[in-house]
Parts: sequence; C-alpha cells; structure tokens
Amino acid sequence: MLVLVLGDLHIPHRSSSVPAKFKKLLVPGKIQHILCTGNLCTKESFDYLKTLASDIHVVRGDFDENMSYPELKVVTVGQFRIGLCHGHQVVPWDDTESLALIQRQLDVDILITGHTHKFQAFEHEEKFYINPGSITGAYSPLDSKVAPSFVLLDIQQSTVIAYVYQLVGEEVKVERIEYKKC
Amino acid sequence: MMTPQEEQEKLLEEALTVVRTQSFQMKRCLDKSKLMDGLKHASNMLSELRTSLLSPKSYYELYMAISDELCHLETYLLDEFSKGRKVTDLYELVQYAGNIIPRLYLLITVGVVYIKSNELSRKDILKDLVEMCRGVQHPLRGLFLRNYLLQCTKNVLPDAEEDAEGGEVSVMSHAAPRAIAGLNKMVNSSDADAGTVRDSIDFIQLNFAEMNKLWVRMQHQGHSRDREKREQERRELRILVGTNLVRLSQLECVDVEKYKKLVLPGVLEQVVSCKDAIAQEYLMECVIQVFPDEYHLQTLNSFLQACADLHPDVNVKNVIIALIDRLAQFSHKGDVARTIPTEIQLFDIFSQQISLIIQNRPDMPPEDIVSLQVALINLALKCYPTKLDYVDKVLETTEEIFHRLNLDHLNASGAVSRELMRLMKIPVDNYNNVLELLKLEHYGPLMEYFDYQARKSMSIHLILNALENETSIPSPEQVEGILSLVGPLIQDQTDQPEKEDEEDFVEEQGYMGRFIQLLSGATTDQQYLILNTARKHFGNGGNRRIRHTLPAIVFAAYRLALKYYEFREEDEKWEKKCQKIFQFCHQTIGALIKAELAELPLRLFLQGALVISQMEFENHETVAYEFMSQAFTLYEDEISDSKAQLAAITLIISTFEKISCFGEESHEPLRTQCALAASKLLKKPDQCRGVTTCSHMFWSGKSRDGGGKEMRDGKRVMECLKKAGRIANQCMDKSVQVQLYVEILNSHIYFYEKGCSEIQITTLNELIAKIQEDIPNLESNDESDQINKHFANTIAHLKLAKQQSSPNYSYAGLDV
Repeated sequence: MLVLVLGDLHIPHRSSSVPAKFKKLLVPGKIQHILCTGNLCTKESFDYLKTLASDIHVVRGDFDENMSYPELKVVTVGQFRIGLCHGHQVVPWDDTESLALIQRQLDVDILITGHTHKFQAFEHEEKFYINPGSITGAYSPLDSKVAPSFVLLDIQQSTVIAYVYQLVGEEVKVERIEYKKC
Repeated sequence: MMTPQEEQEKLLEEALTVVRTQSFQMKRCLDKSKLMDGLKHASNMLSELRTSLLSPKSYYELYMAISDELCHLETYLLDEFSKGRKVTDLYELVQYAGNIIPRLYLLITVGVVYIKSNELSRKDILKDLVEMCRGVQHPLRGLFLRNYLLQCTKNVLPDAEEDAEGGEVSVMSHAAPRAIAGLNKMVNSSDADAGTVRDSIDFIQLNFAEMNKLWVRMQHQGHSRDREKREQERRELRILVGTNLVRLSQLECVDVEKYKKLVLPGVLEQVVSCKDAIAQEYLMECVIQVFPDEYHLQTLNSFLQACADLHPDVNVKNVIIALIDRLAQFSHKGDVARTIPTEIQLFDIFSQQISLIIQNRPDMPPEDIVSLQVALINLALKCYPTKLDYVDKVLETTEEIFHRLNLDHLNASGAVSRELMRLMKIPVDNYNNVLELLKLEHYGPLMEYFDYQARKSMSIHLILNALENETSIPSPEQVEGILSLVGPLIQDQTDQPEKEDEEDFVEEQGYMGRFIQLLSGATTDQQYLILNTARKHFGNGGNRRIRHTLPAIVFAAYRLALKYYEFREEDEKWEKKCQKIFQFCHQTIGALIKAELAELPLRLFLQGALVISQMEFENHETVAYEFMSQAFTLYEDEISDSKAQLAAITLIISTFEKISCFGEESHEPLRTQCALAASKLLKKPDQCRGVTTCSHMFWSGKSRDGGGKEMRDGKRVMECLKKAGRIANQCMDKSVQVQLYVEILNSHIYFYEKGCSEIQITTLNELIAKIQEDIPNLESNDESDQINKHFANTIAHLKLAKQQSSPNYSYAGLDV
C-alpha cells in the first residue's frame, strides 16, 4: 500500500509549482492515499493532488484558503493509525516532546506534521514521527536552506518503509527508513 | 424508373460486356496470328469509348478495362516485332479504322510499339501522336485519350542531353488529322533519331496545354443550373491534367536551369492564360508539390508573379501558404538545418510579393490577409531563427493593414480575431521565452486590436508560457514590459464584462501569484526595483485581485531582506535598505487591510516579525515590535469568530515564542497582551487551552536581555497551568472537562521533563488521581474512548519514564 506524504507547497504565495523532477515521479494510479500536512494553499494544488490519487486527506495550515480543513486528523491504513497535523498549532514548533503530546492524544502509531519545511523521520518512544518537509522547497523564516522533499510510505502488514525523496541541486536523492509496529 | 445511379451502372455494365466479348475475340485472333481480324475486334472494343452517356466516373472504369486489354495487344505486337515479323506500314494501316477514337487509341498503341522496337524516329512519332490527338475535341473523351498517350509513353520519353546519333530529322506536317504523307519521309533505320529531353519537354507541354484547354472547356458545357455538378466532375478529373506535370518532374535531365528556362515558363503561361479558377488553383498547387524545393527557391519571383495574376476566385492564400510551408520544412529537413542560399532573400521576396498580391485583391477577407502573415512569420522563424526583425516586420505589416482597413476591437469569436491570435501565439510558442517578445516593438500595439476576451486569452497564454518554461525576469524594465502586455489579468479593463466566472478568476490570479515567483533580479538592488515595479502594477488590481497577488510580493520582499542580510559584509548600506523593505511590506500589507482582509494580513505581519527578529539592523527591535502590534490590532479589532480567534492567538503566541530580539521593555507588554487575550476567549475550553499555550512563552521564550537563553520562568508557568486547571473546573460538560484535565496533565509532564522544578510530584499525583476518579463516570461513547486512550497513553509514558533515569527530573514517588 503506497501512501504519499507531502505538504507546505505554499503555491502561489511562496512557490510557483512542484519541481518538474518530482512531478515526473508522481505518476497517477500508483498511490492509494495522500496525506497532506497543509498550506497548499489554493484549490489549484488540491486539484493537482486529486489527479494522483482518489483518497486525499488534508489538514489546515496557517495559510490555507480553505478554512474547512480539520486541525487534526487520524487515518487508519492497514495496521497503522496515522495522525496528521500541520504543526503551527503545536507550541513550541519543532519540539519532539510537544509533538509527543499530540501523539498520545490521538493515540497514533505514526504522527505526521509539517510547518518547519525540514524533512525529519525518527522514532521516539516506539512511535514514528515524520515531517515530509516542503515539496516545493518553499521559503521558511525558520530555515534559510530548504530543499524540496516528500515522503512515500510503503505499508506492508506491521512494517512501514519510508522513502524520502529530496531534490538536492538538480539531483533527486532517495533514502530509506524502516519502522516496525510493536 | 431507374435512378441516375442505376442507369449509369446499367450502361457501364453493357459497355463492359461488349469489351469482354470483343477482347476475347481479339485475343483468339491474335493467338492464331490473324492480326487484321484482331485489330478489327480491338476497334470494336474501342468504339465503346465513343459514348457520351457515361459519367466521368463510369467512363474512367470503362477506360481502365479497355487499357488493360490494349496492353495485351501491345505485348503481342512487341513480341512479333522482336521476332522480326514486322507488319509493314502497320502505322498507316491502323489509321484506316472507321472512327477517330478507335483509330487514335490504336495509333498510340502501335506508335509505342514502334518506339520500343526502335523502328522509325522516336522523336517524330511522339510529335505525330501528340498532334494527332487534336482530332478529339470532346473534353471527356479527349482528356482520357491524351491520358492514354501519357501512360503509354511513360517509359519511352527521351531523357538525354544530346541527340543519340546524328541523323536527319524530318519535320512533321501539322494540321492534317491523318499525317500519312510526312511519315514516309521518316528515316527508316536503326539509326533512328532518339530525341533529347527538350523534345520530351515540348511533347509534354503540348499535351498539357491541350488537356488543360479541354478541361477548362468542360466548365462551359451544359446548362448553368448544372454548374455545381460540372465543377465537381471537373475536380474528379484533375489528376489527368496533373499527370503531365508529374511526367515533367520525372525527366531526369531536367535540372534547375532547364526548369527555369524551359519548363516553368510554359506551365505558368498556360495556367495564367486559361483564366479558369479551378484549373489555376489546382495546377499551381500541383507545381509546388511535384517539383523539388530547390527549384522553387530559384524561381520564386516568377511563380509569385503568376500568383498575382490569377483569377480573383482562386484562393491564392492557400497556394502561397503551401509554398511557404514547404520551403520552411525544407530548411529543417534532417539533422542538419539546410540554410537557404544567401543570394535568395526568401523573406524579402515573399514579403514583397505577398504585399502585391494583397494590393491586387481588394476583396480579400482580412482573415485571409492575416493567414498570409501567419505563413510569413512561420517562414521567418523556421528559416531565419535569429532575425527578430523579420518577425517584427510581419507584425508591423499586420498593424498597418488593420489600420488601413479601420479594424478595431475584433470580436473574439470572429475569423479575423482567431487568425490574429494564431499569429500572435506563434512567437510565444516558438521562443518559449517571453523576454524575447519584449524585443518585438509591434507586439504590444497589435494586442490592442483584440477585444477583452481575446486579450485575456492571449495574456493567459503568455503567463502560462512563462510559468511552464520557468522564465526568470531579471530587470524592472522587463517586468514593466510583460505586465503591460497582460493588462486584463492585472487590472480592470474598460471593456470587460460585468460578471465573470469566479473560479476562472481565482485560477487566473493564482497564475499571477505564481508568476511573481519568477521575478528574479540579477542583483539584490535590481530585485528591490523589480518588486517596487510589480507592486505598482498589481496594486492597481483592486480589492478582488490584491488578495491573490500582494502576499506573493510580501514574501518575495522578506526573502530579499534575508538576502541583503546574508551579504551584509559586501554592502554598507544594507541596513537602510532593509528598513526600506520592511516599510514597503508594512505598506503593502496595509493595502490588504484596506481591502477588508484581516486573517491574511495578521499572518503576514507575524511572518515579517519572524524575519526581522533574525536580522540585527538598526532599530530592528522597533520594527519587529511594530509588526507584532499590528498583528495584535488586527486580532483585537477584526477577528470576532471564536474559532478564528483561538487559531489566531495560538499563532501569535507560537510566533512570539520564537522571537528573541525583544528587550524586556518590549517583551513584557507583549507577553501580557497574549496572556490577557487568551484568558478573554469566549468559550471555556478555548480559554483553558489558550492559557496553557501561554505557559510556553514563559518557559522557552527568549528576550534579548536574557542573552538569547530561554526564560525558564517556572513560577509563571505554574501560574498558567493552575489557572488553566481552574478554568477547566468551570466547564459544565464533564467529558470536555476530563479531556482538558488530561491535556493539562500532559502539559505538566512536558514542563516537568524539561526540568521545571516548580512542578511537584504531588501535583502530578493529584491530577492523576482526579482523572482516575472522573473517567469511569463518563458516558460510554467515542469521545470517552478517545479520552481513555489518551490517558492510558499518558500513564504508559510515565511508567516508561519512571523506569529510565534522566538528569533533568525523577519520577520517584509517582503513583502509576
């Protein structure tokens, strides 16, 4: 089961489009679910996601125009409960313990957040935390060097393999991280 | 009563039956070497071609059937001749056939046999045959007869430069339909005069001229009410005439010189002088198709001159366009671009000749004139890709024409507008670089001739082209240029309709926002000027547009400020420049506020404060403070929805927590304001959560006076958490209350594990006990399930943490 995890596009306020090299990799029909951390910001980006997969979950980012996206969302994929939250509401930003508070509240195995535009994937107290970064490499006041990135989760029974794609210069680099549910 | 269709079928079937019978008899006689009888049957068969009753289609079928049978006769005769069994004076003998149609078909057949057997002078026979065919002046029958002549002589036309052997050449006598006498004078030996390619050219030219005359004559046959049917029938027969040109092109010894001097002039003369539109249009296009492009290049002027002299009903535009497109293709064939020889000023020739043609045809519809310009611009771009001035010339010409014809405000659905749009899109799609368009002086002025719909469509096309090609715009002048070209997307136009589709509008403004991302000055100072220029243009967009476009400009400005900061060592004026930038941002966000927006400007101010706090320019603390207080003002004055209020105050607090440039003098009032705002939220749960959020300000917030270190004011943190607890107690909904307790417990844990010594284990134990007491009393539903899980996870975490040791805290004494 393939799940595309991405967010912080910030189109058109801070970025023009998803990098062409990424668009080529994202082929419609291969992905079952899309989990988006928010800050699309407009319908145009949502429509693009719709062409990639039919099941899309979006949570509200601080610049999203669509106010009806929820603040928090829990999605079950296979054996995993996955929590989704943009992260600007979690104070302080980018603090593992404050993210853990959300994880406990939502009772999820995997917590996906964004906002920092910095890719992260780590285990903490046997739970998996993912930040897919910004797929467009959008500017962030918190980080001067933002490389475009997104994550593809391959969920098989009780194992998740996270493939993180990063655009470094002109090259697409892929890394592989594994997480097993206990 | 039979339909005309059925009648034709019947007549054809009857004729074919005769053909079958007579050809069978002919073959039987030939098998028995009874030549004369065989010829008699052939003659009977050929008599069917004398009919006037068949339509061209049916006549063609009959003709094909008979041609096949005549092949058999030709083969027999060739065989006899090769075995030395010549039939004396066969050429004369066949001319004694009764009627002219059978007579001439047989004459041609025999003539070809003579040529193939090297009997008599090939040149003379050919000349004789082509002249003799004059005897049939009926258009349909004449066309097919001469076609038979062409087909039979296909492989025997002389194709050599010099005479094969010197030999006496006799002169044919012309007018007589039965040229008996002259033939006897022909040299009767194997040193026959084979003829040269010139003779072939003459032969074909004459055949062509006669066929064309017959073809044109068809136009005037019969009643005027059947004209359309006749014209259709003429078109069905056009390939018969065209085959002459094909044959000319197949002569190998015709090089470009001969083409120029001997072939083309004759053909053009015939085409122009026949003054028939159907013939002219077909034959001109035929010439283009059939002869190589190298020849066309050398004969452009004469060809185009002829075009100018064509009948007014001829669609000369199609002819010219066919020629231009071919030549444009020619220069691009294969891997290596073939360049047009520099002596041939292709563009100039076409440009001038097309002007002449347009002048000569005052009734030419404007869309056709534009189509010719389209062909010209394609020529310029394909054959002379580096010459921008050619492209501009075409645009200039078009503008002049429009001006002359007093055209204006072209209706988007009309043909002229559509052709003009085609024209204007070509440079865009060809260069794939909108900056090149700015070099075309006449591009902008030409846009003004469109109506609103078309101008908008063109603008979108331009912007999308820039976005797809990621074209960077490096200078303010170029920004000015492009934004001026796409007026309908920037601001209200005088001719725009009252209502437009809202979704489309938003999508288009999205394109403009994305376009702003392409503005990328060559230097930071250039970029500043660019942003100013852009701001001016987009500012004119009105409230509907600026909410989509100005945010992008603000972010671009923030990025620029960071750039100045990054390279501050190299620029002594960087501080003043940054101050100017933030003034610019302040004013730009102000415009959004005037447009009655609140949440967006609030967020933009907060973003600005974050940026400012990272850059130590002179009085940056004041500017950051100003941005924060603007955000607060918006919060207090404009945001009334309680959900929006919670979201906004949370954002303000979380942003503030990250800002470390404020001295205590500024930091304190901001802290206080946040705390106050949180405690004044309408709903109790929101208040509780808001106050909890405030605790983080006191813990990890940084003021400049603290030397960049976290405040870690545990006392204030506890005050917040206690207050949050009190507010939770006031909640009437039990499950909400318990939920809040669990959250507050988790907050306690958070600060305890960060090392906040003001939090006691006893407090934690009390909280845990309270929750354990209340949870069982909750009604069983989804909500309480969630609360249970939340609490269970919390306890699990505490158990785990209690087992592990940490330098910051110890859970000894915790009741879990």
